Amino acid sequence: MKQLTFVVALVLTIVFGAVANKPGKDKEVKIKTSAVCDMCKERIEKNLTLSKGISEAVLNLEDKVVTVKYNPKKTDEAQIRKVITETGYDADNLVCSQTAHDKLPECCQKTSEAHSH
Amino acid sequence: MKSLLQTILILTASALVMTLRAQRVTGTVFERNGTDKKSPLVGVNIFWAETSLGTITDSLGKFDIARSAKSNRLVLRYIGFKTDTIRVTSENNFEIVMKPEGQLGEVVIRGTSSQIDRLNPIQTEIITTKALAKAACCNLSESFETNASVSVSYSDAVTGAKQIQFLGLGGQYVQTNVENVPTIRGLASTFGMSYIPGTWIQSIDVAKGAGSVVNGYESMTGAINVELVKPDAREKLYFNTYVNHLGRGEVNLNLNRKLSDKWATGFLTHASTLQNRVDNNGDGFLDLPLYTQFNGINRWQYKSDKMMAQFGVKALYEDRLGGQTGFRPDEHRGTAQFYGFGNKTNRIELFSKTAKLYQDKPYKGLGLVLNASLHNTDSYFGFVNYDGRQRTLYGNLIYQSIINNTNHQFKTGINYLLDDYRETYKDSLMTRTESVPGAFFEYTYNHLDKFTLVAGLRADYHNLFGAFATPRLHLRWQPWENTTLRLSGGRGQRTPNAFAEYYGYLVSGRTVRFWGQTIQPEVTWNYGLSLTQTFHWFDKHWDLVLDYYRTDFQNQLIVDTDHATPLASHLYFYNLKGKSFSNSFQIELNTLLSKRTEVKLAYRLFDVWQTMGQPFGNSVLQQRMMVPRDRVLFNIGYNLPYDKWKLDLTVQWNGQARITDPMQSLQATIDRKPMPILYSQSFMNINAQASRAFKKFEVYLGGENLANFKQPNPIIHAEDPFNKYFDAGQTWGPVVGRMIYAGIRVKIKD
Repeated sequence: MKQLTFVVALVLTIVFGAVANKPGKDKEVKIKTSAVCDMCKERIEKNLTLSKGISEAVLNLEDKVVTVKYNPKKTDEAQIRKVITETGYDADNLVCSQTAHDKLPECCQKTSEAHSH
Repeated sequence: MKSLLQTILILTASALVMTLRAQRVTGTVFERNGTDKKSPLVGVNIFWAETSLGTITDSLGKFDIARSAKSNRLVLRYIGFKTDTIRVTSENNFEIVMKPEGQLGEVVIRGTSSQIDRLNPIQTEIITTKALAKAACCNLSESFETNASVSVSYSDAVTGAKQIQFLGLGGQYVQTNVENVPTIRGLASTFGMSYIPGTWIQSIDVAKGAGSVVNGYESMTGAINVELVKPDAREKLYFNTYVNHLGRGEVNLNLNRKLSDKWATGFLTHASTLQNRVDNNGDGFLDLPLYTQFNGINRWQYKSDKMMAQFGVKALYEDRLGGQTGFRPDEHRGTAQFYGFGNKTNRIELFSKTAKLYQDKPYKGLGLVLNASLHNTDSYFGFVNYDGRQRTLYGNLIYQSIINNTNHQFKTGINYLLDDYRETYKDSLMTRTESVPGAFFEYTYNHLDKFTLVAGLRADYHNLFGAFATPRLHLRWQPWENTTLRLSGGRGQRTPNAFAEYYGYLVSGRTVRFWGQTIQPEVTWNYGLSLTQTFHWFDKHWDLVLDYYRTDFQNQLIVDTDHATPLASHLYFYNLKGKSFSNSFQIELNTLLSKRTEVKLAYRLFDVWQTMGQPFGNSVLQQRMMVPRDRVLFNIGYNLPYDKWKLDLTVQWNGQARITDPMQSLQATIDRKPMPILYSQSFMNINAQASRAFKKFEVYLGGENLANFKQPNPIIHAEDPFNKYFDAGQTWGPVVGRMIYAGIRVKIKD
């Protein structure tokens, strides 16, 4: 019985934890990037998602626009753009960090042609 | 309520728009022919990911497929080529160039943490790195924690050895391969589960029932294939450290480097240790042995258009020390002051794989696998010494091609296996050299991925046991989009290694006796039937898997621990005379509760019996020892994108298993009554883990056996270990209680 209570408590924690994590007053911003391929997409989405205050980032490779959902109390658009430039990509009018860009694999650099990866 | 209605309306509307826009997706599939020429590929399988809505390309390489509401990922699959997935948005008229696979064997698309491969004719569950990350620890034996088909438990209360249970039988009846080379076998089967660190593993395929004949005759109940991290992997560096509250520490470091377009090299390394003496149940014995393990692989890989080759070396050292808490080997080994257990293992392995590729005929391939290993293990159990040495050579030459078109494929080849054993137990020396050349042929018929037949036959000549044939058959039929039926049957054979496989029973006062004729090879026939059904219910996608497998032994090494007399308690080994079989039934349900929450519920039933009692002139059909009849598994996992947060909970309920107690056996002998039939308790095991990913690293915190269940008195006569009725081999539940761990993973990708 004690074990069962324990299990139920743990399941509830996970389920409610998941619900509580739902974005409530999140804002959304769309930023044009210089992404080239699926590897770029993964890199940008990952770095954004794992940054403070950002709950979701989805990049569309067709128009290279990344849609970011974030909590305005924890971060702002300038911070978000900085994450992108520091990953090695342009963010709207901001030019990418050159050192980060040069570290990218050749296929992901701005000179590279569009391709599927 | 109103907003819910709105949502539903919007969803319906957008679904309508989607349908109106439905149209079709068209395109042409090519292969590259020389540097700038390309030619169309005929008969490429094209389907929407996670559906079975599909088509094939026509004689001009063209395809035309209706859009799917369920998926926007179009999968292209063609034998000899890398399976390709394209994300389809609004564009159309695709031109796709497929790349040759560059290696033998199938490539499967992996998304969710574990899944059932629907196109494989053999019922196969794939455990991906995502599922492996659900349990942070530590090696192959912990990788099956969230898998319903495989369970792993301690074989005894002293050595820390772990045993698989699969289709109601032990791990020795499963062929455990590393990259399709039989690896955990022979003397390595005792501790082999802990020889593959979790961080080295890229994925695990668990195939149920009779396996393919290509990798030999030894798979009886199934085959587990472990793919390791490759030298050309995107992760250049992977560092993992782990520590638990009992004092176990672990470091893993993987380094991969591309040296040129063609060459790559990789190092996989591992070191772990426990030096803290833990005796939580107060029986005077260490709950876990102290140990140190060093383990490493260096592999080189060469890939060009014409050939692919890899070779490398694996090395392992392990030192284990268990027994009574006061035992110090330098002072007490060979005395009756304290009972001690020790094991030192050294293993070295050289491996190579070479494949010739045909650029113009990608379905064709010629591969050669060569392996050599040396395994040395020295143990003592109190006053008893057991040493073993195994030398193995393995070679497999495989040719694969098609007959007329890719609907008819075949693999054929020859192989050779040499096992040279030298074991000493107490004062007796046992040597055995097995030399087995063999040949195989496997034909695969595939009709539009709706119906697949695999018929395999191999012939081998064993120097000690003569010639034998191994037929195997697999059928897969997908009558409707969401339904897959499978049927399998086949023969398996292996030579048992009594000491290595029943090592846990050696930690006892039992007298070992081989009864009757010399031990013969074990022979099984396995038959299976499975159904995989996907359906929509409550607006959710569900996967249901039902399967039944039966294994019948023609011969088996029977292990009999039921008997004790006033003179001794016994560990008998003898050939089966009578019946031995295992029935396994399993039902498993998987669903995505929400976009981020994955749930699994499974129940499995084992019904395993064997004829026993030969040394006493009896013939009694009895339940196999240590096999719990019922087991329930529940797993719930919650994931944020890119694993920012990951929460996981697994609950297992294990039913009762038959056990013995030498004291009660003795009483029955004295009273001239039949041997008593005893059962263990049922128990629950709860594991949970949380992990949080940052840009450069990931941290995790978790717990095992959170309900803190401990088997009461796991060691019989712990207070008097030199007694002849002492027995530490009757372990059916956890010996250690709750365990908390934490760790860090650092990955550097390109």
